[in-house]
Amino acid sequence: MKMTPELKKAQENMQPGVITADGFLGDEKRSLKDIIVRDEEEMRKYGLDYEETAELLRELLEEGRKGLGEAVTVKERWLVQTFESRGPLPCPFEDGIFKKVTAEITDKKSGEKILVSDMAIHMMEAHRFLEGIGSPFRLDPELLKKVVF
Amino acid sequence: MNFLIAPIAVGVIAAVLGAVIGIVDRIVNNYGDVEIDINGKKTLTVKGGDKLLSSLAAEGIFIPSACGGRGSCGACKCKVESDVGPHLPTEIPYLTKEEIDDNVRLACQVKVKENIQIRIPDELFNVKKFDTKVKSIKDVTHDIKEVVFDLQGEEIDFKAGRYVQIVVPPYGKIRGSTQRAYSMSSKPSEKGIVELLIRLVPGGIATTWVHNYLSEGDEVELIGPFGDFEKRETDATMVCVAGGSGMAPFKSILFDMYEKGELDREVWYFFGARTTKDLFYLEEIKKLDSKWENFHFVPALSEPQEGAGWDGETGLITDVLDRYIKEKMRVDRDKEGYLCGSPGMIAACNNVMTANGIPLEKIYYDKFA
Repeated sequence: MKMTPELKKAQENMQPGVITADGFLGDEKRSLKDIIVRDEEEMRKYGLDYEETAELLRELLEEGRKGLGEAVTVKERWLVQTFESRGPLPCPFEDGIFKKVTAEITDKKSGEKILVSDMAIHMMEAHRFLEGIGSPFRLDPELLKKVVF
Repeated sequence: MNFLIAPIAVGVIAAVLGAVIGIVDRIVNNYGDVEIDINGKKTLTVKGGDKLLSSLAAEGIFIPSACGGRGSCGACKCKVESDVGPHLPTEIPYLTKEEIDDNVRLACQVKVKENIQIRIPDELFNVKKFDTKVKSIKDVTHDIKEVVFDLQGEEIDFKAGRYVQIVVPPYGKIRGSTQRAYSMSSKPSEKGIVELLIRLVPGGIATTWVHNYLSEGDEVELIGPFGDFEKRETDATMVCVAGGSGMAPFKSILFDMYEKGELDREVWYFFGARTTKDLFYLEEIKKLDSKWENFHFVPALSEPQEGAGWDGETGLITDVLDRYIKEKMRVDRDKEGYLCGSPGMIAACNNVMTANGIPLEKIYYDKFA
């Protein structure tokens, strides 16, 4: 995988203060290309498929929206609470505009949680980008495996 | 020593180039003083070259902005009547076709390079910046804090239902200052304080700061009042719906009405929560209900826990609302809808209300949610 001009531009857009105040890369110092390659390996390690995971997360987020801001129990396993904020957010890869919808998905049994946004699901599906370690919206493969599968 | 010559030479050349660029920038981008004509009523003289939003703020005119000028909320819309060039790609996602045709711009994206004329709502002339001190912070639920700000001798004049913007300073990994809007839950008669209800949004910049970093005694900037959410002066039955921190404007409106003795108006207040631990101010509002004959408080739980002793309404707040409009409210009275919540909650309530004969134009809510 090469660090293409498109990836370089996306990495610039992911810096704190460009699109969001805290950015998309968390504490990571490595290049976007290296983050994506590392996470592809992590996804393989936990047996996760990008499209299948994105589809499940999207389904949970949509179920959560039915709570109109309050948490809802989904399939008796998860507690999903969605939060919506004003205005759209442009994707750092510059291929779409997304509503600021966030869902906190909690596995009721273990109490473990993962934070998912509309745009995070898109970036997982379309760009195989899960956000950097330390980003609040990182879709960490190990946590995904525990919480949503 | 020869090995130092190259780096020193590069350093000197870079410094010279930097100085030249700085000088050229000052000459080329020196727009001098320019004038901003606001509504044909007020003219400001500002240093040219800065963004419209910050130029106005520096002169005490505050346009609402939820992101603090980062171009990610689309809140700072204002009509620019002068030609300031075409709309920027950073503005277009936030504007409708009608707004683009009408020269509406995002004040945080437009640079003031020459004299310009703009139009803003007249109410914005009354918006002030307050240097406050946090008087108290109280947990009203597991994820909502009631925060009271002391205006330190200043006073705020507002109608119940308005909101303020809280200026969040850099903290932790957050490098820049940002702003977020919250409805005031204090009454207009409480001029020396501002009370806000702030629900923790996981990953949210402002709410994380309030919940995890803010302490009593801290100094905080507030800007306001903003908005047009308010009780309409009619005889129509008010049908109010909220959940979570959406309680804030209704606490202000209802206690303001009670204080002013406006007790003839029929008011229904539906408050949705998941479990009993998400309910708050229950006693205060039930007390209001017992003293005010035409006021009806309907809290409802969507997932009441067994053994919690809940004997009130259950179900999604929209289902409870639908049932009450059909079965409990007088059909011979005009009705107005008042909503505070997420865009999804507002859309769902709009559907229920319009299906029950409340016209869309008589359903009111703040669009900043």
